[in-house]
Amino acid sequence: MKRDSVSAMTWRRFQRSKLALGALAYVVVVALIALIAPMITVDPNAVDIASRLRPPDHTHRLGTDDLGRDVLARVIHGARVSLTVGLTATLISLLIGSFLGAIAGYYGGAADWLVSRLIEIVLCFPFLLLVLGIVALFRPSFITIMIALGLTSWTTEARFVRGEFLRIRDMEFAQAARASGARDARIIFRHLLPNAIAPVLVSASFGVASAILIESALSFLGMGVPPPTPTWGNILYSAEQHLEYAWWLAVFPGVAIFLTVAAFNIIGDRVRDALDPRSES
Amino acid sequence: MTSYVVRRLLYAVLTFIGITIAVFALVHAVPGDPITFYIGAHGAHNLSQPTLEAIRHEYHLDEPLVTQYLYWLRGVLRLDFGTSVVDHRYVTTRILEKLPNSVELNLIAFLVAAAIGVPIGLWSATRSGRPIERASAVLFFLLYSLPSFWVALLLMELFSVKLGLLPTFGMTSDEYLDLSAGQKLIDHARHLVLPVITLSYAQIAIFARFSKSALTEVIRQDYITTARAKGVAPRGVLWRHAFRNALIPLITLLGLTIPTLLSVGVITEQIFQWDGIGRLYFVSILTRDYPTVLGLTVVTAVVTLFASLLADILYAMADPRVRFEETAP
Repeated sequence: MKRDSVSAMTWRRFQRSKLALGALAYVVVVALIALIAPMITVDPNAVDIASRLRPPDHTHRLGTDDLGRDVLARVIHGARVSLTVGLTATLISLLIGSFLGAIAGYYGGAADWLVSRLIEIVLCFPFLLLVLGIVALFRPSFITIMIALGLTSWTTEARFVRGEFLRIRDMEFAQAARASGARDARIIFRHLLPNAIAPVLVSASFGVASAILIESALSFLGMGVPPPTPTWGNILYSAEQHLEYAWWLAVFPGVAIFLTVAAFNIIGDRVRDALDPRSES
Repeated sequence: MTSYVVRRLLYAVLTFIGITIAVFALVHAVPGDPITFYIGAHGAHNLSQPTLEAIRHEYHLDEPLVTQYLYWLRGVLRLDFGTSVVDHRYVTTRILEKLPNSVELNLIAFLVAAAIGVPIGLWSATRSGRPIERASAVLFFLLYSLPSFWVALLLMELFSVKLGLLPTFGMTSDEYLDLSAGQKLIDHARHLVLPVITLSYAQIAIFARFSKSALTEVIRQDYITTARAKGVAPRGVLWRHAFRNALIPLITLLGLTIPTLLSVGVITEQIFQWDGIGRLYFVSILTRDYPTVLGLTVVTAVVTLFASLLADILYAMADPRVRFEETAP
């Protein structure tokens, strides 16, 4: 009952922001386009040396790259990589972060101490350096990138869940579950975690934004999903080689990254505002 | 205060050990012969079996993992990360050569971000709820969402390629050595502009957001209400009571900004060919120079550790509530 009313209220307050609704609509549209990408574009890997580095015209709406491949098709297909990596990496970090945060917040004491030290250790590593190092050590691929991102970015989620658990673990409903003889695992996963998940969604939204940003940076540096798979980052990599005359290579994939990252950040920000009881005034 | 500092130091030592264990475990989780880390994948093919055994023995690779770790830790404590696979010079020497260039770039970027971001943040907190404040909050979000390598490309395209106003990359021009002292300074400063913008624009947004929420938090406190009730002019309340307390939480940014700057630094230094540790890190990854990669990973993590330790202690000095909250169960 209570959960429903909180999420309904959050949604109502989220809707008040036109910007947030726009961001949400944008994300849904990009996801749909990514889903049906092969049906609506030409082959993103079709090489055509005769028409290399063509500026945008009616056959190639966003121009062609240095191998004559259609930039529009590559940008649209790039959305698949960005969204898949962003969402999967965030899911991994959500699982790790919620689990460790729940243990720390529920048991407190030694468990809490240990998880807090673990978070401190992970936070000491500059994020991109660590991800870059892991990806290089294990060879760049779809899987390594998602795992590397997931393994290194769970700390925010863990802290959010820990904080929520500390707040709710001794509330009546948790005490009632305990009094009726529920085991710890049941109390944690069935009773507490569903009530702690709302603020985690905020950090998940920021997490997707950051994962997409890092993935494109890795691709840009040549350490991302290996070619010929089109990614927004590796189109920008070829843009760097032809900066003097192929502006369209630099502009469109960059706009795609920027809008997508901004959309996830804005959604996260507005959900946070909507959840904050103090923001009503 | 002393007990707080002692406890923080102990935690820092533990975190340091954790950092070294994490890096060591990472290396040994990689499939393949660990000897390639020390002599390069190429080297391992060209050497005879007895030579390989000798090298294995020299690097203690024939001993149990725990012993190997302790040997490695001893090296780390002596700042000895072995020699580079690429040029066989000490990793520490190579890092120290590049470090000043990165310190210069990061320090300037940090100061620029603070000098622009903090005043904007404080100002927008005093305009809370008005259209201009809401617009600037959105603007900062957009700024924060811009990929740094894209910004770098566009800046290069605009200011170097199209307008020819600023140098494309490097730290100095080719004719640098023939310039007079004053010209040298100007030449170097011109090379700094684009990398500094690339490094600092997102930090400006972070500083602004952080100082805005810090001041908003302070304005809600009872002592501000008290000051108002006493009849202090609004301006006086802000300057005398609110701003000074709002600046205290900014200390934590010291620990948070440094790892971010180092991360963005890899991209910035690589694109603008700024000869610092970020570029060294990336080049070492490309050349599979793992002793350098590992050395830099440990060094940057320890730098971050020191920065957050310093931030914690400064914060506790400025705001005594912190050290009491920590001791409470």
